[in-house]
Amino acid sequence: MLKNFFKTAWRGMVKNKFYSTINILGLTIGMASAILILLWIQNEMSHDRFYQKTDRIYLANNRDKLNGQMMAWSNTPKPLGLAIRNDYPEVEDIVRIDEYAANLLLTAGEKHFILHGIFADSGFLKVFSLPLLEGNAATALNAPNGIVLTKQLAVKLFGNEDPMGKAVSVDVTDMFTVTAVLEDLPPNTRFNFEYILPWSYAAKKSMDSNNWGSNSILTYILLKPGASQALFDEKIKNITINHTRDGADKSTTEVFTQRLKDCWLYDKQENGMYVGGRIERVKLFAIIAALILIIACINFMNLSTARSESRGKEVGIRKVIGAQRQFLIAQFMAESTLFAIVAGILSVIVVLLVLPAFNLLIGVNLFIDFSNPYYWLFALFFILLTGLLAGLYPAFYLSSIKPIKALKGAFKLAGSVVTPRKVLVVIQFTFAIVLIISTIIVSEQIKFAQNRDAGYSRSNLAFIIEFGDAHKNYELIKRGLLESGAATDVAQTSAPMTESWGDSWGFSWQGSTESDKKTDFIIFGAADDFITTMKSKIVQGRGIDVIQYKTDSTACLLNETAVKVMRLKNPIGQLITNGNDKLHVVGVVQDFILGTPYEPVQQMIICGPVLSGNVINFKLNPKPTISASLQKAEAVFKQYNPQYPFNIRYYDHEYKLKFQDEQQTGMLASLFAGLTILISCLGLLGLATFVAETRVKEIGVRKVLGASVQGIVALLSKDFLKLILISFLIASPVAWMLMHSWLASYTYQVNISLWVFIIAGALSAAIAFITVSFQAIKAAIANPIKSLRTE
Amino acid sequence: MIKLKNIFKWVNSGGNRVFLLKDINLDIKEGEFISIMGPSGSGKSTLLNVIGMLDEFNEGEYQFLDQPVHLLKEKQKAQFYKTHIGFVFQAYHLIDELTVYENIETPLLYQNIKSSERQAIVADILDRFNIVGKKDLFPAQLSGGQQQLVGVARALVAKPKLILADEPTGNLNTKQGEEIMQLFKQLNEEDGVTIIQATHSEKNAAYGSKIINLLDGRVDK
Repeated sequence: MLKNFFKTAWRGMVKNKFYSTINILGLTIGMASAILILLWIQNEMSHDRFYQKTDRIYLANNRDKLNGQMMAWSNTPKPLGLAIRNDYPEVEDIVRIDEYAANLLLTAGEKHFILHGIFADSGFLKVFSLPLLEGNAATALNAPNGIVLTKQLAVKLFGNEDPMGKAVSVDVTDMFTVTAVLEDLPPNTRFNFEYILPWSYAAKKSMDSNNWGSNSILTYILLKPGASQALFDEKIKNITINHTRDGADKSTTEVFTQRLKDCWLYDKQENGMYVGGRIERVKLFAIIAALILIIACINFMNLSTARSESRGKEVGIRKVIGAQRQFLIAQFMAESTLFAIVAGILSVIVVLLVLPAFNLLIGVNLFIDFSNPYYWLFALFFILLTGLLAGLYPAFYLSSIKPIKALKGAFKLAGSVVTPRKVLVVIQFTFAIVLIISTIIVSEQIKFAQNRDAGYSRSNLAFIIEFGDAHKNYELIKRGLLESGAATDVAQTSAPMTESWGDSWGFSWQGSTESDKKTDFIIFGAADDFITTMKSKIVQGRGIDVIQYKTDSTACLLNETAVKVMRLKNPIGQLITNGNDKLHVVGVVQDFILGTPYEPVQQMIICGPVLSGNVINFKLNPKPTISASLQKAEAVFKQYNPQYPFNIRYYDHEYKLKFQDEQQTGMLASLFAGLTILISCLGLLGLATFVAETRVKEIGVRKVLGASVQGIVALLSKDFLKLILISFLIASPVAWMLMHSWLASYTYQVNISLWVFIIAGALSAAIAFITVSFQAIKAAIANPIKSLRTE
Repeated sequence: MIKLKNIFKWVNSGGNRVFLLKDINLDIKEGEFISIMGPSGSGKSTLLNVIGMLDEFNEGEYQFLDQPVHLLKEKQKAQFYKTHIGFVFQAYHLIDELTVYENIETPLLYQNIKSSERQAIVADILDRFNIVGKKDLFPAQLSGGQQQLVGVARALVAKPKLILADEPTGNLNTKQGEEIMQLFKQLNEEDGVTIIQATHSEKNAAYGSKIINLLDGRVDK
């Protein structure tokens, strides 16, 4: 029985090549898109959930009122971990991880690289069961001079040789031995390091401290089986408050835990609680995947039912020779399933071909795990679901045809006003138009932010982070750069101009209140030539100049926002205190964008040489050429910091990175808009072809009566364009609401203007018209004699 | 076998009633070979469809094998006619995507007959009609006469008691037409199959034992 169905279905598919191609193409695109999205969703949902002990691992978080709002953040003080382990019996282990401090120079033989790693407690490999290629998880991080490498780093340093037991030097002078090698990190883990160094080494580099007020590391907690998170949170709530009770700097920060399982998806905090974040994106894309698949199925439905006139005869015959409705329904479902199977196989091939480019676009390394039986099961289910979805409506529709009417050929399609077919086309194009509008608005938002005045000049501006001797030899390097003509200006800062490395609260000034102590300021350290090198603007007072003014060693600048936030009428000369530190204001600098260009600039205090520098900024000399200056600069660094590679970074590039997220969103939106339009147009093409075929006689008669080609084209296109108009009217408010809520998450928003909608509508109408016109023109120029020949 | 009493069938066209069948009374016994004749539009096909339970009537009674058909529900009717009645059409109405063998086999599929049995039955019929060599061809590869032959074979495969033929030779030339009519006569005389055919041609009508004339939906005496 089933064999008969599939045989008929296969032969039918081959016989009607045009329609079959359109159907399969549409289904393939829909399924491939859905598969890509599902792969991404699976990656997101499985993030950090695959460790053996995932269910018992928690991340410590802080909660406090800052800038007038309750906030939560995951950077915790260094002493927290040990305090938790020592005082609470339900804790099995804690793992402190410092992700920020380990950007170190690793040298093995001739090879040296500055790479990103982490400092971690010895329990790291036992708590987070990342697979090891070599070595023992329990002991690898016990030795104070042991280092754990990832496989890709091992290959970088040692090629194909076995790295176990080999020597690696860190920061030139410290010797380590390789004690374990990790498999390359999978894409669904939040960790992104190339090596692990023991926590004791961090202490040795005097980066360990007992400061409860400095939040800089991650503290993971492994609770014993059966321990309750709620009870534990109650117990540790005031741990920081208690430990600072007797000191000068009394903390009001509470501590709570977040389950490791939730950390990745729920990374956005609101009023001190983690309520959403990535999970919203996952849900959004799940909906998009479902919608794309539905649209492809709608195509199938439309084409199948539209061709019911030709199928009708077959249905009539079968009913006459004894088929009951169930048989016919089963037959048509078999047809749609066959299409789904063919499309499914093709879509997997398409996905495999497209995956590398897609991974590049979204920055994640997705892959299909063919060895996992769940994937095969899911693939089967997916194909059957598609077949069911696409085939259900046509099956019921076609099987209800009355045999006599069909055989007589009297089964004509009713030209009623609202047919299900028209509804389906409207749904497709509504979705497509919403996506087009969204794409345009996203790119407008990006342009808007990009055009914002950054507050400093980025052209030819580069920087190097001070590794090794660079800090010690700063003055020499500066002189070398200027004298050789490599740079026109050089300035040392505490952080790159594009990142915030330090912030602090607890400041007080004349007229400040207790609650002002909870205002968080970005702390930026800059030496004298900062203003001239960056070409920022001093709007009041002057820049910091230790050479001219001896007292400038405790001077600071405020940015415009700081002045507003501090409600200072005459900021020059004001005194700002924080504990034992006293700073006096000598100038106000124009706001410059340090963080995200979508939010207002945060209040900033720029200190003079009070903070030690970390970054050397220099403006490359365009004369004689930039590349010549680059070579000169490299020579200078080689001279004064020979052990370290010349890792120069450019501000233009760094600033562009700030738009990456939104650009990615924009690219994905335009990608899916394009796919949706493609699928919808495929359907439209099929329908238009079919309508032209069924109206052959009518067109023949009209031509004989004197209709022009344009007239016929207009006649055939009119109906479809009406549908597009309806789609546009529905899509516009939907898109407006969607974009409005997306933009609401940015303080700096572009205005949603009318022309966006007009362009989107015109574009879809044009595309639809072009699609339909092929068939319309072909039909219109057909010879009426041929059309009117009687059977 | 077939009893039609006061059968009326009409359609409403803009307020008026147009009668397709007017007061039809027929009594057909098993084994008869009936020819229904009449000009175009006289209601021949409509009458055949009503007898074959493919179409409904508005007034009257219809008994088939002593079963009151007008009281049967849709599903029961379908069950009834597929086991007892076979149809032959003027335009053959074969399924183009299936081979000769599969076309003939299809009615058996719908009666849930086992695969091995089906093979036996179809082989039998192919043999009887001498078309074994054509069993894997598609309808498009056959001549009109051969296609109709397959149509008749399909109508017979479920061993029906009654065959309804609507202008079976209408699309065939003289020779092909004669072959089909000879076949019908053989089926009627040797296998006892009741045959009712609608036809224009007097020559074809002569093959039957009785002629019924229809004019404007009424039996013309």
